[in-house]
Amino acid sequence: MTSIGLQHYLLLAAALFCLGILTMTLKRNAIGILIGVELILNAANLNLVAFTRYRTGAIDGQIVAVFIILLAAAEAAIAIAIFMNFYNSLATIDVDRADQLQG
Amino acid sequence: MLLAIANSFWMPDLDAVVAIGPLWGLAGTIVAIVLAALVLGRSAAVSSVITIIGATLTAWICFTHAPRVAQSAWAGLAPAGGSPMLLVDNFAILFILLICLFLACVTGLWMIGASTNARESAAHLRNGPEFFVLLVGSAFGMALMVSTTNLLMIILAIEMASLPSYAIVGFQKRNRIAAEASLKYVLFGAVTSALMAYGISLLYGFYGTLDVNEIGRLVSTELAATDTPAAAKALISVALFGLMAGIGFKISAVPFHFWCPDVFEGASIEVTTWLSVASKAAGLGLLLRIIAAVLQPLAETFDNPLSTTVAMFAAVTCTVGNLAAFPQTSVKRLLAYSSIAHAGYMLMAGAIIWQAKPGSDVANPAFAALIVYIIVYLFMNLGAFGCTALVYWATGSEKIEAFRGLGRRSPLIAAAMTVCLFSLVGLPPFGGFIAKFYLLMALFKSNLVWLVAVALLNSIFSLYFYSRIAYAMYFADDGKPAFSVPAFGRALVIAAAIVILLTGIPIAGGLIGRANQFASHLYPIAARTTFAEPQAAAAKDPIPLAARSAP
Repeated sequence: MTSIGLQHYLLLAAALFCLGILTMTLKRNAIGILIGVELILNAANLNLVAFTRYRTGAIDGQIVAVFIILLAAAEAAIAIAIFMNFYNSLATIDVDRADQLQG
Repeated sequence: MLLAIANSFWMPDLDAVVAIGPLWGLAGTIVAIVLAALVLGRSAAVSSVITIIGATLTAWICFTHAPRVAQSAWAGLAPAGGSPMLLVDNFAILFILLICLFLACVTGLWMIGASTNARESAAHLRNGPEFFVLLVGSAFGMALMVSTTNLLMIILAIEMASLPSYAIVGFQKRNRIAAEASLKYVLFGAVTSALMAYGISLLYGFYGTLDVNEIGRLVSTELAATDTPAAAKALISVALFGLMAGIGFKISAVPFHFWCPDVFEGASIEVTTWLSVASKAAGLGLLLRIIAAVLQPLAETFDNPLSTTVAMFAAVTCTVGNLAAFPQTSVKRLLAYSSIAHAGYMLMAGAIIWQAKPGSDVANPAFAALIVYIIVYLFMNLGAFGCTALVYWATGSEKIEAFRGLGRRSPLIAAAMTVCLFSLVGLPPFGGFIAKFYLLMALFKSNLVWLVAVALLNSIFSLYFYSRIAYAMYFADDGKPAFSVPAFGRALVIAAAIVILLTGIPIAGGLIGRANQFASHLYPIAARTTFAEPQAAAAKDPIPLAARSAP
């Protein structure tokens, strides 16, 4: 039986990152894109915590992870407020409908 | 017991608190606006006055702060034995001064808008305090961006600058265009900041530190010492690409520029003015810091593909911006593409610094040219957007047609606009020419002749679309009646035009001289070794990656 090590966490984070990119590119719903962003941020957090635990031994990586969780919350709050505003004028949050500004 | 707990926290001493003085100025302004709204009631006039006072006060703190910084090589807020989280050196002070100046100008523009534009002014005045808290909040974030070399602070600063910007772009509720612009802005911003967070997590993992300078040293020593496998190089490139995504978004460099025209067109015009200059200046400041610290030693070791990356980015950004501006009919959108193009010109200075070898004398002229360029660009854009705003408030349209016959209808505004436009092209008697001239000289000196050619060709392209507006103003009169504009607005754009003329002719030699002098005092490439000294005592020796054991 192999023990779980740094590699496994990094691979999981890389997988999350790829899923996040896929979600962002394939979803047409603004909330869906935001979920993709959250996936990538969580991949970053996983990386940071795993690196701190297995590699550097210092605590600063975990501090960064805490701040990134906080940022994700702040970003989601403001993004959803903006989506609401968009919804109020178009009754949809499909990003393909955001086509007034072009050129 | 309590004392032990209190001691276990890191408490900044008074020196450290004073050392980041200019940042307190902006933070205090935010608090003052909120408190004033609570105590005196919600009043747009009070908040705007507090914003102007706060900007002035911060500028004053900067002026008193600069000599102290010059005496003590660097000034930062750092836990004992750690690397500085915040670093308010002369480099940061220059940018904070520019941001404060611009904050005051944008507030002035907002006041004019609120007083002239009857249709929107009711909502304008009602939500004044929120607007100014968000505006000063983004200014604070931009001030943080230029005063840090710590990866954590870089993320926090970019978010602090971005989140309020998203909100003020969509500030006019029930405006469909503004809603769409802010939607695009927030989505692009969220995606690039996520990429940046991932890149930073990788960089932290590779080098075990968050300090950009130390990462730079470790990258160069590690790459010089061993034959690094291609996979490691690829991973480093991914991490750096992520980091660049966050910054490229702020300065609207080309693969990350798609938000820029839409947001500039959809946002109200004072917000567009704010984003076009302040946000870009802060992004460039941060980029220069990172280039100076991480990427420049990287360019020495990574000879082949990466050494021309910044130059390529600059050339592409510049060309795309200018080409896309060709068919535009909205002046705001045209100026948005023009600001992408100018980001490209300014990135060219970054390219010089990136490729400069330590000890060579090309980096300082590039810094000086960039400083002159940013200052002149600030006034050119203030003038151009100011004139567009005045025309919009008078005619209700921001298409090029709205400028028809402006030379007769409002001669002073037309003259100021002409000065700004030809300065944006880079024609001789104006400041834009001087700025571009020094930039091209610096490029020429550092053997980037192909970039000189790109810049010259682009300037010739850009002459065409800028002169379309000038043509409309003077040769396409459609007989609409003359209009008058508020005196303060006229004063603002004329002041901007006069500054452009002044930087263009008589004092230009003095300006570049001062910029040169200043560049040598900055946190520069040439003096990087001297800069690193105060840190070297505190920083531990770079630990080879292999020697770091898992717990």
